[in-house]
Order: sequence, then C-alpha cells, then structure tokens
Amino acid sequence: MAASKAKQVSLFDPAIVRQAVIESLKKLDPRLVAKNPVMFVVEVGSVLTTLLWLRDRILHPAGAAPGWFTLTVSVWLWFTVVFANFAEAVAEGRGKAQADTLRRMRREIKARKLVSGREEMVDASALRKGDAVVVEAGQMIPGDGEIVEGIASVDESAITGESAPVIRESGGDRSAVTGGTKVLSDRIVVRIGVDPGESFLDRMIALVEGAARQKTPNEIALHILLVGLTLVFLFACVTLVPIARYSGIGLSATAIVALLVCLIPTTIGGLLSAIGIAGMDRLLRKNVLAMSGRAVEAAGDVDTLLLDKTGTITLGNRMATELIPAPNVKVEDLADAAQLASLADETPEGRSVVVLAKERYGLRGREVDHGKHTFIPFTAQTRMSGCDIAGRVIRKGAVDAVGKHVAGLGGAMPPELDARRGGSATRAAPRSRSRMARACSASSTSRTW
Amino acid sequence: MTVNGWIQIGLFALVIFAITKPFGIYMYRVFEGEQQPLPRLFGPLERVLYRLCGVDPRKEQEWKGYTAAMLIFSFFGVLVTYGIERLQHVLPLNPQKLAAVPADLAFNTAVSFTTNTNWQNYGGESTMSYLTQMAGLAWHNFTSAAVGIGIALALARGLTRQSGPSGPKTLGSFWVDLIRSIVYVLLPISIVGTLVLVALGVPQTLSAYRELTTLEGLKQVVALGPVASQEVIKELGTNGGGFFNANSAHPFENPTPLTNFIEMVLIFSIPAALTYTYGRMARDTRQGWAIFAAMAVLFLAGIAVAYKYEAGRNPALATLALNHAPGNMEGKEVRFGIANSALWATVTTDTSCGAVNSMHDSFTPLGGLVPLLNIQLGEVIFGGVGAGLYAMLVMVVLTVFIAGLMVGRTPEYLGKKIEGKEMKLAMLYVLIFPLIILVLSAWASVAPYGTSSLNNAGPHGLSEIMYAYSSQAGNNGSAFAGLSGNTRFWNITGGFDMLIGRFLMIVPAVAIGGSMIGKKVVPAGPGTFPTTGATFTVLLIGVILIVGALTFFPALSLGPLLEHFAALSGKVF
Repeated sequence: MAASKAKQVSLFDPAIVRQAVIESLKKLDPRLVAKNPVMFVVEVGSVLTTLLWLRDRILHPAGAAPGWFTLTVSVWLWFTVVFANFAEAVAEGRGKAQADTLRRMRREIKARKLVSGREEMVDASALRKGDAVVVEAGQMIPGDGEIVEGIASVDESAITGESAPVIRESGGDRSAVTGGTKVLSDRIVVRIGVDPGESFLDRMIALVEGAARQKTPNEIALHILLVGLTLVFLFACVTLVPIARYSGIGLSATAIVALLVCLIPTTIGGLLSAIGIAGMDRLLRKNVLAMSGRAVEAAGDVDTLLLDKTGTITLGNRMATELIPAPNVKVEDLADAAQLASLADETPEGRSVVVLAKERYGLRGREVDHGKHTFIPFTAQTRMSGCDIAGRVIRKGAVDAVGKHVAGLGGAMPPELDARRGGSATRAAPRSRSRMARACSASSTSRTW
Repeated sequence: MTVNGWIQIGLFALVIFAITKPFGIYMYRVFEGEQQPLPRLFGPLERVLYRLCGVDPRKEQEWKGYTAAMLIFSFFGVLVTYGIERLQHVLPLNPQKLAAVPADLAFNTAVSFTTNTNWQNYGGESTMSYLTQMAGLAWHNFTSAAVGIGIALALARGLTRQSGPSGPKTLGSFWVDLIRSIVYVLLPISIVGTLVLVALGVPQTLSAYRELTTLEGLKQVVALGPVASQEVIKELGTNGGGFFNANSAHPFENPTPLTNFIEMVLIFSIPAALTYTYGRMARDTRQGWAIFAAMAVLFLAGIAVAYKYEAGRNPALATLALNHAPGNMEGKEVRFGIANSALWATVTTDTSCGAVNSMHDSFTPLGGLVPLLNIQLGEVIFGGVGAGLYAMLVMVVLTVFIAGLMVGRTPEYLGKKIEGKEMKLAMLYVLIFPLIILVLSAWASVAPYGTSSLNNAGPHGLSEIMYAYSSQAGNNGSAFAGLSGNTRFWNITGGFDMLIGRFLMIVPAVAIGGSMIGKKVVPAGPGTFPTTGATFTVLLIGVILIVGALTFFPALSLGPLLEHFAALSGKVF
C-alpha cells in the first residue's frame, strides 16, 4: 500500500523542529490553550508571575518575593507552556511529513497522456478530467476514470481487497478503473474522470493529514480526571494562604503559583495531545491509517484480527501454493505441464506457478526452443496461457475458459475434476495426452488492516 | 514499643481476619441470598416491619429512587432528633431535669447522629436526657449505620450485577436493605454484645445519677444510664457518640482491656466483612480480598507509625533528663497503655467510628498525624459501616481507570467499561471532600470567631481546626479535644460540613452504581487488567495516597509536621 513506501521521518527532523518552534509560540494564544485546562492554569500562572515581577521591579512593594525568584519561576512556567506546545507541534509536524511523502508518491506516478494520437509523458497529478491515457501491463493507472478502448485484467486488491484480478473492458458497466490500481495484462486507454485532488490517493492523503483529532472516550475521561485534580489542588493552594496566615507566614503569590504548578498534573496535561497524535503516527509507521484517536484506542484493545478479503485494503497477489493432480496423474507430470503453461503468463499468479514448480519439484527453467515451443501469453480475453510443443497443447487458465477450450477441441472435462474444483481454481490442460489435471489451488497473501 | 504491645496488635489483626469470611458470608446471605439466614428467629420481625412501613420487599428501586428514599429518610431523621432535643425538658425520661438543647447545638447534634458522624459538641451526661440519648441518638446509631450499608450495597450491585443494557436498572430496595441491616445484623449483635458488656461491668440502668461519698468524705455524683446498649451499637455501627463526655476512655463505657478489645473488634467487624460480601457479590471473592488487602496494608502502616511515635519520647521533652521509657502517656488511660491507645486511635479513625479511649489532642505531633491523615484519606481504610466500602469502590474505579491508561487498554472493572460519566462522578466524589475541609479550615483559621475556640496556640491549634473539619466531613466524630466546638460558628459550619461530607458524597457514589448497572459485560481476556492481584492492591494504595495525602500535604505541613520539627528544635507554642 502506498503508505508502506513512506519514508521514516526522524523525530528531530530540522524542518519539523523549525516549524514546531514557530507553532509552539502561535499556540500561546489563550483561546487555544483554554482547550486544555491544565496548561491554561499554567499559562495564567506564567502571566501572573510575569506581571508580579514587573510590578516588583517598578513599585518595589514591601514584603514582595525576591526578584530573581519571581523571575525564575516565571521563566520556568513560560518554558513549561511553550514546551507542551512544542511537543504537540512536533507530533503534528510528523503527520504532515507523512502526508507530504504520500503526495510525492502521487507525483512520481507517470502517465502516458494521449495528445492528438501521440503519447506524452506527464505527471499523474497534471491530469485533468477528460484526458486520455495509455496504460499497459505492469503500469499503474494514474487516475480514476473509464476505459474507452481495450480490455485488461486489473489488480484492484489495494482498494477492494479482492485478491483475484478483475477484468475491465471498455463499454458496459465494467469500464471504471481506479487510480493507484495496477494493470496486469494488455493495454487499455483510460479517460480520466476526476480532477486532481479528488482521486483515491488524494483521499488517503486527506486521511493522514486530517488526523483531525476527535477526542477518544478515554481521553474525555482522562480530561475529567485532570480537570478534577487541577481543581482540588487549586483549592489546596488557595486555602493555604489563610492557613499560613494563621501561622504568621505571608505566602507570596509567586510561591503559591509555583506550588500549584508542581501539584497539578502538568506533565500529563501538557503532553496529552502530543501523545494522541504520536499514537496515530506510530500506527501509520505500521502502515495503518488511523482516521481518529478513537481508532488508536481501539487498536490497543485488539486481541484477534479477523480478515475479510473484500472491503479491506489488501496487497492481493494470488499465489500458487500447492499442485493437486487429478486421479491417475503423477504430480511431477502436472508440475511440468503447469510450469510450461505458465512461462508466458506474466501475472503474479503465473509467475508463482513457475516458482512453485521450481522450488517444490526441482524443475529448473528449461531450454526454450522457439522453433518447437509456441507460447501463448495470458490475456484478459482468453483468460488462459499455455504452450504448444510439437502438437502437444498445454493450457492453463480459468476453469470455465479451459472447459470451453477443451470442448472446442472436441474433448470433455473429466467429471472427477468438477468434484474437486474450488471456487477460483485454475487448471492445466495438457491436451495432447488427453489428460487433464488440476493445476494449482490459489491462495492469496493478503495484508489487510 | 514492646513485644507485648505488638502481640496485642497482631492478635487484633488476626481476629479481624478470621471473622471477615464467616461474617461476610452471613451478610451476603442476608442481603443477596435467596433465603435469609435464621428465618424463624428474624423472619417474623422483618415481615412485621415491612407491613408496618408498607414496604413491598420484592420491589426494587433505580439509583434515583434509592437515593431519594435515603435522603427523605435522613431528612426526617434530622427533624425528629432536633425536635426531641429541643423538647426534652417537657418529655419523659429526664430524671436529671436537663433543659432543652440550644438551637445551634441541637442542629449540629441532629445532623451529627443522622450522618453517622456522632461529633459531640456537648457532654452527654450534662446535656442529654435519657429519652434523647435513646430515642433521639441511639436510634440513629442503628439507622445511620444501616443507611451506610445500604448505599454500599447499592453501589456494589451496580458494579456486580450483570443485567446488561436492556435489563432492569434497579439497585435494590433502600427500605429492604435498611430493615434487613437492622433486623439481621445490627440488632442481634447489639443485644448479645450488650449482655456481654454488662457482664464485664458496664452499667445499664434507667435510674437517676447516684450520689456517693468518696474516701475523702466528699459527696460525688456518679453519672449512670443505659450505657451498655448504646456502647455496643456505637462501636458496631461505627458511630462513636459516647454516652459520657469522656467516651470510651470512661470506665463505665470501657472498663477493662478485655472490653476494649471487644469494642475494637466490633468497630472493624462490619467494614471488614463487607469486603468479603462484596467479593461474593462479584462472584469472585478475590475481588473482595484485594480491597481488604489494600485496607489492611494502610491500617498496619498507620498503627505502626502511631505506635512508634506514641511509645517514643515526646519531641518537646526529648532533651530533658526524664525517664522516656513509658512513652507519651499524656491523655491515655493507664488500664489501656500505649499500644491499645494507639491501636484504638488508628482503628477509630480508619473507620469513621470516632469513639476514643485516649485524647488524640495529647498525642505527639506525628502520632496525632496518623488519626488526622486516616480521616483525610477519605475513610477508606475499612471505613465507616458501608461508607468504607462505597468510598473504597470509588477509589477502585479511579484506580482501574488510571491502570487502564497505563497499559493502554480501555479501562474495565468486572467486565464493565469505565467511561467519562463514571470519571465525572468519581472526581466529584473525590473533589467535595478536600474542598469542604480546606475551605472551612481556612475560614476558621483566620476568623476571630473561629480561632477564639482554640485552647492551643501555634501549629497545634491549626491541627485542631483541621481535625475538627476533617472529622466532621469524614463523618468520623472524634476530636482533637482542645477545641471548644460548642459555639454558634462551630456548630453551624460543622453541621454543614457533616451534611456535605455525607450526602453530597453518597449521591455521586450511588450514581456510579446507577450508571454501571446497565453496561454491557465483556468477558475478561488476556489483556484485561486484573483487579485481584498484588499489583492492583499496590496501585489502589498508591491512588488513595496520592489523592488523599497530596491534597492535604501543604496544609498538614503547617500543622502536625511544623509542630514536630519545631518541638525537635526546642520551640513550643
């Protein structure tokens, strides 16, 4: 998925720190600080001690606290507020940096735009509604749109979670394609249907950026706890003044403010929002998009992850994991036929059959004599690939496609195959030996979140 | 400190530990069982009371109904007691012809006994008639204790019942809990206990005071009365209002070390056993034991400190060439000695009992800090009858929340999620207590009508003020006796202190029960924070100390702590 390619952003990236320093001063605005009562109390204390210091400097009243004391307390309190803002700004900055990485990725997709019949390489982000682009096997579709010409198998697993490639063709109701999906075979011409900023990738970027933080239930409860504790300690400090007066001690306002800030949960209060953002950021580094703080919290509660292929974000390449021969077929023969039939299949599925045959049955890449071997590549139209060697016809493909092919050559599907057929099995048909074997059961390695 | 002293303390702890389970099972059967124990003995009385009061024992109340019933009941309790006090000179059973109680004192006393505080701004033998003592005050000793048990049960039901979001939201019936507490628990133990105390030398009579001739040939009036009956319920219900001014230090209330031991066990019995009852209600007795353990640790820490500083030398006299071996015996009864006085002081302030067998005012600064801090921790160390359990459960809710955040899980207690609403209520509960104590203490310490009641200057006077308001807000009722509390200012502020400390805290506690009852129960998984082990107990103690001690520490540093260090440097006030 896109985010997986996002670069790790260092915590103290100079650009982020610079931005954060500016932000942390902007966030001193009382209207912003008031959202966090604990820090608001600290800021009020900072202002108060600063005013006290100024008053003492100018008026020199009797019984005032020493100037250096008021000044250091004041400086320390200001530092506390600014640091809390800084931590929040750094955390926010990291989220922004992630979004920038995604944006760069979008720029990196190149599109082959058709301009009056000629191809022209442009950035995907430069495409406008109505532009036509050419996409061939192995390329990313640069934007959401509709196929106007051709037919192709498209890996849409990144969006739909369906691990099997889907067939998309011009005309009819299967013509829509999505930006960020990959064409696995053939060549199509796509008419872009959206302007930049509205595509699928843009929505993902918006998600990362719009780490628009709603408060989580726990955060709300914690907020109440912090406000409560702040109130308790506020009263503890305020009542200390008359109690101290009873003992003949005149407590300066500076000392009371300092004591109050020590007692109230400043650390938690100051770093709370930074913690929330950091939680999302950590999930993002594990390639999970947390749309809200609530999701971060839920992530902590997850014990078991159930994956539902559809509707999830999947890296869905179908992979062959096992070869199951039909009755009376040796598995070595099947492996040999399956590999031959898949050599011309450039889809991940085809490649995986070759690899499986090589690894499990020791079939190395063979001498390919182009005179004798005629390879039939996989296409979305035939949904089969194969190889003709000296009158021997080997085919591998979708069950119904192979069935039709066999019927077209005057053969018939052995009934025992049907009994063992899985949902989306592919079978190899070594035609010349008039035997059929079920080739591979497909499974997909999905990464789903 | 002596080995003998520690053996007595250890024996006391053992007896409490031993009765917790059987007594806890008994109370579980009384309040939650399908069939109440000993039906032929208590059943008829229970049914008669239901019929008299028009109570349908099967009809339960939701939290609002439960709270409202409790508030109305208590309000009329205050009214009736106030009436009896004001009219005692025209009512019967007044052989000493005592006059009507003044209005402010009557208000303070009526509130005091209704709230289970039993703060006494009067000397019983010189102010209250027998009728007032028995009908006005002893009555509350039963009902206020029963109310406490009821509230604890209501909160516990809210936490433990698994009725789910669509099930009934009822927390039990206030009237049933009230009547069952009295009929099955308080009354039978009181009757047996009274007979035991009478056998051990405590008077129980309605005759007038006796005039005797002393050895010196002088005439002396010896105050008597129905002492034994009031004594037992005073301890059992953690009320603490003594028949005599000297409370349990008086030889007629507490004649021997044996009665002293029995009375201390009576104080701790119900609060300790209720933790087991709670464990049974939670279908996991370890839940109850974890709470018991936290209470026990805090109790043992308190007695260790109190005993150490009472048995040690008085810091103000430390430099003088005196025999310091007996420890600080000022204000203590020789028949009890240091260990039993320090133990009693810890027990009576851990629970909200407030009966005293020695004068806390005469404790050393740090020895006296223990009772004060015990109260200020919120009466959670076993605590008042029922009050201790519900206060502790609020602390548990807080602890579970904080622990949940620490391990990054949604905080759950007994499978129920703790959310913003419960935190709001728990914070309200935690907030009210220090607020009322600190504000009133601050007021009294600067107002001339506040400080004029003090008998001691300097930090000890401040300790007396703080102790007075802490004791009343915590519904304890014991006093640093150096304060003359019977003035208009102290009577009225104290009365409100007690009302707020009782009822404003009960309401959020029951509301937590009401909000938890309807929650979905999630079965415990591997990530659930266990609320049974040692980790949880340690965390719970930590939360209690942070919430309680940190709030009061600044003020305490100007009271007992300042007094201690000033005395060490030879400065007395």
